[in-house]
Amino acid sequence: MLQLFEFIGRNRNFILFVLLEVFSFWLLVNNNNYWSVEYFNTANTLSAKSLELSNAAREYTNLRNVNAALAEENRRLNELITRLQQQKPANAPVGYQADSAFANRYKFVTIAKVIENSTHRADNYLTIDKGYADGIKEGMGVVSATGVVGKVKICNKNFSVITSILHSQFMVSTKLLRSGDQGTAKWENNTTPSLIQLKDISRYTTIMKGDTAVTSDQNVVFPPGIAVGIVKSFRVAPDQAFFDIDLKLSTDFSKISYVYLVENKLLEQQQSLQESLTPKRK
Amino acid sequence: MNPTEIIRTVVRWLVYVLLHIFVARHLVLFDYAFCFIYVGAILFLPIEINLTALLFIGFFTGVIIDTFDNTLGLHTSASVLIAYLRPIIIKYQLGQKLTEGRLQLSIKELGFPTFLSYILMLISIHHMVLFLVEAGSLRLFPYTFLKIVCSLVFTTMTIILTRLFSR
Repeated sequence: MLQLFEFIGRNRNFILFVLLEVFSFWLLVNNNNYWSVEYFNTANTLSAKSLELSNAAREYTNLRNVNAALAEENRRLNELITRLQQQKPANAPVGYQADSAFANRYKFVTIAKVIENSTHRADNYLTIDKGYADGIKEGMGVVSATGVVGKVKICNKNFSVITSILHSQFMVSTKLLRSGDQGTAKWENNTTPSLIQLKDISRYTTIMKGDTAVTSDQNVVFPPGIAVGIVKSFRVAPDQAFFDIDLKLSTDFSKISYVYLVENKLLEQQQSLQESLTPKRK
Repeated sequence: MNPTEIIRTVVRWLVYVLLHIFVARHLVLFDYAFCFIYVGAILFLPIEINLTALLFIGFFTGVIIDTFDNTLGLHTSASVLIAYLRPIIIKYQLGQKLTEGRLQLSIKELGFPTFLSYILMLISIHHMVLFLVEAGSLRLFPYTFLKIVCSLVFTTMTIILTRLFSR
């Protein structure tokens, strides 16, 4: 017996080593053992907290990529939503079936970054970092994550200039979502870049502050249902048949950074057909 | 050992473990070279430390690393092994230098060739055990072997780098 104790005493470190090795292999082999499930894993409060911290730091350096990925995802989702809405419009009578070419006419071509932007002139333009090399054409609609932005005016290989809706000549066919009345939004007072005027809404409809205005179905540039703004104030002159409505723009032009380019693939067909009527009218 | 040395030892251990958890764990070169810089936490403990303490330190270092990798037992077995082999290798490699008095395991005191052979020996044992145990069999041996060699080079380089910056 004494010899045994002496042996253990002499070789205690070797025995400890063997025990620890056997224990760690045992932990490894039953990898669902109580210890690893209960304590020693990344769900443990201390390790989870520290990993969270280091991840937060790493995430911050990665934000640029995340933004780009999200913008791309939004482009895809926007295109899908527009197509689904066009296939089955909410207010269509039973039995209306949209032609597939018509339903698919809006294509979200690409995402671009705004590199130059003005808001305080009478006619404002934005410059974006993509041109016809990325599929952009003149006349395409431009929307942001929050609402309408404008229309492509000119483009070269790598850059495009966009006519912002803060432009004295730019008109957007707009409808009020609650009442369904259609009018034309136009930037007329030329001073406040957060307000746009909505015309041609009959004074005999009821409108309320806070009504949402979106692009109407009669638009050729923008897909229907893109936010334009919300009603901020309205008044009616005694001798007028229409309201004067101020909309608060849903796009904040001072903060705009990423925009989506929308192409209406049937635009030319529609316009050439409509233009063919013009000579007859003369 | 005076208090300053104890604090320095503890801080050095902590720096290696934290470096591994927050930085080196994510460093993978060409899908083959991994960096297990925490080996340094065991390699550079003072020479005169007693073997029982060394084994326990190795064990807990391994458990902490495993906690963050969700591989309880894997790093633990490899670090306990190098903790056990460390005094043997020190005796074998630094035999005559040890008799000259107290020695620190630094590049300056050992000289670069001795230092390199000391860390290479232990790191290669560690990596061999680690990757073979992780693979679980010899079936993919060429692949595992390539991983061992690449990681050995990578870990050794980073550990030498950290030693150049520390005292």
